[in-house]
Amino acid sequence: MLDEELTSQIIDKEGYKTEIAKKYTTFLAQYPEIFSDLISGSIFDFALYESVETYYKESPVDIFNVLRNGKGIEIKPGGAVDSDLELALSVRAVKKLIQTKSKVEYAELCGSFYNDPDDEKGWVDFVLHKRTQIIIDMGYGKFAQTSGILNDYDDINTI
Amino acid sequence: MTKGQELEIKNKYTGEVIDTIQADTPESLRDKIKKVHKNQYLLKEMDFFERAQLLSKYAGKMRFKKKKLKDLVVAEGGLPIKYSDWELNIVLTGFRFCDWYYQFIEDKPLTGIEGEKNVIIKYIPHGLSACISPRNTPISLPLYQMGANYLVGNGAVVKPSTACPLTMLEAYSTMKEMDFPGLDALDLVIAPGEWAVDEFLKSPLVKIIMTVTSSHTAKDILVRYGRMLKKTADKSMGVTMYTQPFKQFFFECAGNDAGIVMDDINLEKVAKWNAMASYTNSGQQCFSMKRIIVHQDIYDEYTECLIKEIEKLKYGDPTDPTVDIGPLGSRRILMMMDVMVADAKEYGVKIYTGGEKIDTGEDYGLFYTPTLVEIKPELCEDLSKAPFLWREEAFGPVRSITKAKDMKDAIRLANASNYGMRAVVYTSNLNNIEVFKNQLEAANIYINARPMLVDITVSLGGIKDSAYPAGCKYYPQELVYGKFIYDGTPLNLEKIK
Repeated sequence: MLDEELTSQIIDKEGYKTEIAKKYTTFLAQYPEIFSDLISGSIFDFALYESVETYYKESPVDIFNVLRNGKGIEIKPGGAVDSDLELALSVRAVKKLIQTKSKVEYAELCGSFYNDPDDEKGWVDFVLHKRTQIIIDMGYGKFAQTSGILNDYDDINTI
Repeated sequence: MTKGQELEIKNKYTGEVIDTIQADTPESLRDKIKKVHKNQYLLKEMDFFERAQLLSKYAGKMRFKKKKLKDLVVAEGGLPIKYSDWELNIVLTGFRFCDWYYQFIEDKPLTGIEGEKNVIIKYIPHGLSACISPRNTPISLPLYQMGANYLVGNGAVVKPSTACPLTMLEAYSTMKEMDFPGLDALDLVIAPGEWAVDEFLKSPLVKIIMTVTSSHTAKDILVRYGRMLKKTADKSMGVTMYTQPFKQFFFECAGNDAGIVMDDINLEKVAKWNAMASYTNSGQQCFSMKRIIVHQDIYDEYTECLIKEIEKLKYGDPTDPTVDIGPLGSRRILMMMDVMVADAKEYGVKIYTGGEKIDTGEDYGLFYTPTLVEIKPELCEDLSKAPFLWREEAFGPVRSITKAKDMKDAIRLANASNYGMRAVVYTSNLNNIEVFKNQLEAANIYINARPMLVDITVSLGGIKDSAYPAGCKYYPQELVYGKFIYDGTPLNLEKIK
């Protein structure tokens, strides 16, 4: 399937607890191609946290899930029943991510939040709910690359 | 350093004392071994996946300390800040996804010729592991050692290098902050190898000696073990019997990796990767590409490209994000680079670039400029007479480059070594790739790979003098033994009743 063929659908727009989650889902819905490497049926949570402390206490301010279906993605409020993983983001990070103007810019910023996490500036993290091999087979590794999370050390030096 | 004194940890670039810590004494080391041994049961109370999940969670927590950890790696290890990220990510990625290693240690049911499934191989942790880490990796290797043991259920006492123990101490304190389950089955020992290794060898509680060190130091450990065994010889029954039980030895040693560049690649692009593969962390990597072997048809042009890339490398203050080459880990390395280049000059070699040392006269701020030395193929014919730079691992930023006539010659040159950790090939000829895979003598073959990969599939190990036991390996595999279980109950229960 070509990237541009993917569709996105936000279910129950009033079901979100916070404005920031609403804005983030609207933002993600613009770029369903980010999820193109995931196999149909993969489902995972986006959990938003005020701080690292609340993350450690597993107390998100809001949570929604994204299902990759045959056509594209479906975004729903709340955690999925059997999610593959949780993508955890600080609210500060989300506020900056939704300001980005392109998929590339989004991925770069997302990558910097993952690679240099900072509670003041923003951070991204994840928790696997299934075994690594299953997660890889579902295409999350490629998804992480597209989202800027997995590092490529080609540019570690000037070389 | 004498036994149990205060230990000053110095900044490798400025010489400033970063911290002063209390080193272990033989007594405190023995107490730690006893404590860890006593608490190994804590690990058995969890299954593999619980331990894997805890390590994964720990990796998540460590990420939030990255800045502090990177600063420590740079200060005490001398690694450039831009490289310190790799140093952390390689181990934290391994921890994050460590349940992946289960495939190597999960139960293996076997089917007999008659189709019966009576046999199973189970993998059992060996027991307490004493781990010794080198100075070039302040965190990745010692933390790997600790994590791999934890993962399979072995208690571990890890000895980071006394030159750079602070990053590991910080890593361990993060476990304490988390009330990491089973932490009492893990500990750190701050002690020099000279006597700490003997304590590990002597202790009957230690089942595994796991080191990352030079091949010669590893062999020295075996010599010391042999001497110690000899002392336990009992001849009272007319034959010599040794009362000390076997220990398991896992040595991750030196590499003198060949990197073959064939005549069918983009010279500029491969030269960039080559420079990175050869000089990252000032070449202080066992898996660094040390002997560059280039097809004769592109030799001159490629060498020119490579020199350009090498000369772009900036050396200096490792906290500067534009710096590629940090200070060397010790005066010994500086001396070794000097000796290797001087010895090569005796053979009339050409120094293409570098070849200069920057010596502060102190034990910090030591540099050797990134160096490329031409070694003619005829000098490598007889390994015993070849230049020192060809024969032995250059654990610093000095690399050799040699001309090969063709693929066969390139393979011959690559295999002309006592080491066999990795071999790297760059070629676009698909027909030749299988030949390289099959004929190169190394435990890890990288074909057209990016350097500095961060991936759970990256394996360690080596053949020849690069590792013992030989072969590519993942640490968890080495820390368990296979137990064969034949259960004939379904077939024979009635017969034996």
